[in-house]
Amino acid sequence: MIHRLIPCLVLAAAGSGSALAQVTTYPPAGRLLAANCFQCHGTNGRAVSGFEKLSGKSAAEIAKEMTEMKAEATAQPGEKGIMGVHALGYNDAQIKAIANYFASQR
Amino acid sequence: MTIDRRKFTLGLGLSALAAPISRAFADGLPTSLLGANPIWIPASTNPVPVPTNLGISGRVVVIGGGMGGATAAKYLRLWGGSGVKVTLVERATTYTSNIMSNLVLNGSLAMSSLSFGYDRLRRNYGISVVTGEVTGIDPVGKQVMLKSGTRLPYDRLIVAPGIEFDVIPGLESAAAQTLVPHAWKAGPQTTALRDRIKTLRRGGVFVMSIPAAPYRCPPGPYERACLVADYLKRNNPGAKVIVLDANPKIVAEAVNFGNAFNLTYAGIVDYRPGVSILSIDAAAGTVNTSAGPVKGDVINAIPPQRAGGIIATAGLNNVGGRWAGVDVLSYESTAARAIHVIGDAAATTQPKAGHIANQEAKVCVDAILRGFKGLPPDAAPVTNSACFSPITATTASWLTAILAYDPATGTMKSVTGAVEAPGPNAENFNQMKQWFSNLMTESFA
Repeated sequence: MIHRLIPCLVLAAAGSGSALAQVTTYPPAGRLLAANCFQCHGTNGRAVSGFEKLSGKSAAEIAKEMTEMKAEATAQPGEKGIMGVHALGYNDAQIKAIANYFASQR
Repeated sequence: MTIDRRKFTLGLGLSALAAPISRAFADGLPTSLLGANPIWIPASTNPVPVPTNLGISGRVVVIGGGMGGATAAKYLRLWGGSGVKVTLVERATTYTSNIMSNLVLNGSLAMSSLSFGYDRLRRNYGISVVTGEVTGIDPVGKQVMLKSGTRLPYDRLIVAPGIEFDVIPGLESAAAQTLVPHAWKAGPQTTALRDRIKTLRRGGVFVMSIPAAPYRCPPGPYERACLVADYLKRNNPGAKVIVLDANPKIVAEAVNFGNAFNLTYAGIVDYRPGVSILSIDAAAGTVNTSAGPVKGDVINAIPPQRAGGIIATAGLNNVGGRWAGVDVLSYESTAARAIHVIGDAAATTQPKAGHIANQEAKVCVDAILRGFKGLPPDAAPVTNSACFSPITATTASWLTAILAYDPATGTMKSVTGAVEAPGPNAENFNQMKQWFSNLMTESFA
C-alpha cells in the first residue's frame, strides 16, 4: 500500500507541482496555534502596547524563552505570572511551531 | 459624551480618586492608556494587508459584531484573502465592551471609553458591515433574512449573537427593570447602575445576585462586588454590599475573590453562597430568595442567561433549549449544516468570555477556509482564556487556562487547569490595561 502510494504522489507532484504545494502549505504551519498569542501580543505578534512584539523575533529565542518559562512555572504555575501558565499549555513541538510562525512574520 | 466626562471629573474630584490612579500607573503605561478616557486602539495600528493570491473563494455572513463576530470577520479576510466576501450584520452601530465595564461603576472609566466602531474592519479588511436586525435564517436556501427585507446569501454562516436574559419574576415591567438594572450588557444600564451607586443613601445597602453557571464572564460578578465595595469604602462609609450567589461557592478565582471579600472588604461585602432569587419586588426593594427576603436600597440582579434570540429562532438551541450545540473542531452547529456558532451562545466546555471568543472565532474561520480548500479542520485546536479582574481601583488579579481538543470526549479540555494570580497587585492592573488595548485592537482593528 505504502509502496504504491509514494510513486503516485511523486507523479502527482511532478505533474501539478504548484497545486500540490498549495494544498500542503495552506494554512501556514503553526498559524492557528500562534493565534492564541495574538490577544495579548497583537495580530501576527504586532503588539500595540505593553506586551512584547513577537513578529520577526528569532524562532530560537522565542522557543528558548517559552521553554524556560515552562520549566519555572512547572513547580508553581501562578508564581511565574500569566505567561508562565501559558507556556505550560504547550508541548515542545507546539512551542517550536509557534516560534517558527512568529519568526516568519514581519 | 461630554456631559458624561464632566460628570465624571466632578465625581472623581470629590472622591479624590483620579489623581492617585494617574500617578500610580503613569509608570510603564503609555499616556494613551491613562485617565478615565483611555485610547485603547492606537490611531495607527499598521494593519496586516489582506492577501490577494490565496485562491480561496466563498461568501460568509457573520451575525453579531461582538468580540467573536468582529474577530471572525477580520480573520476571514486576513486568512482567506480577497476572494472571501464577508458581510458582518450587527444591529448597533458601535460595540460597547463588557470587559472593563465594571470599572465604570467605581468611577475609574467613562462609559464613552468603551465604545468601538466598525470603521477599521471596513477600511482595513474590506468587510461589508450592515447595520440591521436579523429576523431569520433559511438553512436550505442558505440566506439570512433582515428586517429591512434584504436577504444575504451565504456559503457559510457564522452566528455570534452573545446572550439574552431571562426575566426575573417581578421584573416584567419596564419600570421594574429600570429600578433593577442588570448592567450585564454594558451600556445605558451600566451608567444607570453607576448613578444609583453614587446616590446610595449614607450607610445604605447594595444587593446583587449571581445566576447559576453557565453565565457570561465567570469572574465578572465577583469583580463587580469588589469594585462597588471599593467605591463605597471610599465614598460611603458604613454602606454594605450583599452578594447573593445561586452557585454553591465562588465560581472563578475563589482565592483572590475570597480574600477580597473577607479581608480587603471585611465588614462591607457580605457574601452568601447557595442563595437563588425567587422574585423581586422592585418598588419595595425586596429580593425574595431561597433563604428568605433580603432588603436593599439598590438592587442589581444578574438574570439567568441563554443564547441570543436568533439561536432559538433558527432552531439552533439544541442544548437545554438555551444554548447552541457545536463541534469544537469547526464550531459548526450540531443542529444545522454550514452554520457555525461561536462565543457565549455556543454550548462548550469553555468559559463564556470575550478573550476566548476571539480564539474560538479563529478556530472557526480556519476550519471554514480549510473547507473552502477541500481540507478537513485542524484535528488538534488549542484555545486559551485569560482575564484580568480589578479588585480595587489600583490593583487587579488574573485567571487563565489553556484548552486543547480531547478526541476521546470531543470537547476542549483544560491542559493547565484554571490558574489564578497569586494575589492582586498594581502590576496586574497595568497589564490589564495593556491586555485590553491589544485584545480590542486584535478584534476590531
